[in-house]
Amino acid sequence: MADVTESKITDEHRAMLGQKSDPIEVVPRTADAQRMRDLLGDTDPRWADGTGIAPPYILAMLEPRLPAELSPQVLSSGILTQTEWKFSQPIKLEEPLQAVTQLIDVRDRLGGRYGYSVLVMFQTSYLTGDGEEAAASLRTITQFDRPQS
Amino acid sequence: MSQLYFEDIAPDDELEPQDQLPTEDKAVEFFGRDNPTNPAFGDAEAGRRMGFGGALVPGLLKLSWITNYVGSWAGPEANLRSVRVAFRRPDIAGKPLTIAGRVVDKREEDGCNIIELEVVTLADDQPTVRGNVQVEVPSRS
Repeated sequence: MADVTESKITDEHRAMLGQKSDPIEVVPRTADAQRMRDLLGDTDPRWADGTGIAPPYILAMLEPRLPAELSPQVLSSGILTQTEWKFSQPIKLEEPLQAVTQLIDVRDRLGGRYGYSVLVMFQTSYLTGDGEEAAASLRTITQFDRPQS
Repeated sequence: MSQLYFEDIAPDDELEPQDQLPTEDKAVEFFGRDNPTNPAFGDAEAGRRMGFGGALVPGLLKLSWITNYVGSWAGPEANLRSVRVAFRRPDIAGKPLTIAGRVVDKREEDGCNIIELEVVTLADDQPTVRGNVQVEVPSRS
């Protein structure tokens, strides 16, 4: 793999920082919550049947695809390397949320298993009908160039 | 499901490890059989074509296991604030995983009792996911 001494991140890539996607409506479904609880063996009474509350890992079912128009393609390949979930209030089943995604960081990374790579970080906020944030997820994609075979 | 209180918890406390056996079937069931997912989650051959040793274990399934692991430890009056994980290496379906955790900090912050934990998933004693979890727990007082 060739050494890279200059950043491949351009002003065009940086111009995407802070831009937000259009809101996407996502609905935490009761059936998904039940299925996931059963699979995980989760007996927490806070999100048992009849409570109307979703378990926190319902976010796994809600995460929208990363919007291509906000995704700088600096290097040819990418892999999800980090995820963070933050919770501000209980997520209610069957109540629609508006998911808004934005690019929050793009930076070079020298060294590591991929050689020169680029870290691209997105945040998705899940907003209630009142506009309050119920939860957020941060996803970091590590972009790299596949070695020539 | 028991409840832990702030006074009961100390830095370096270790959570009882939990074993999981990820399978292709669990991966497909996790997302729902009618929902499209990465073919490598449910098909070992698809995983091998992508350069892995078999079907991949979804990162979101591992994240959910960790979320539930810490939630069960802390108890039903605790509030999970955040879970952050780094996927260090892929897990392959059929290989047992162990989830382990340790308290690294406790503090009072803005009137809340905060516990910080480090968590890890291990396959063949090697970490595959490393994470940090922040949870708010009640006080006995």
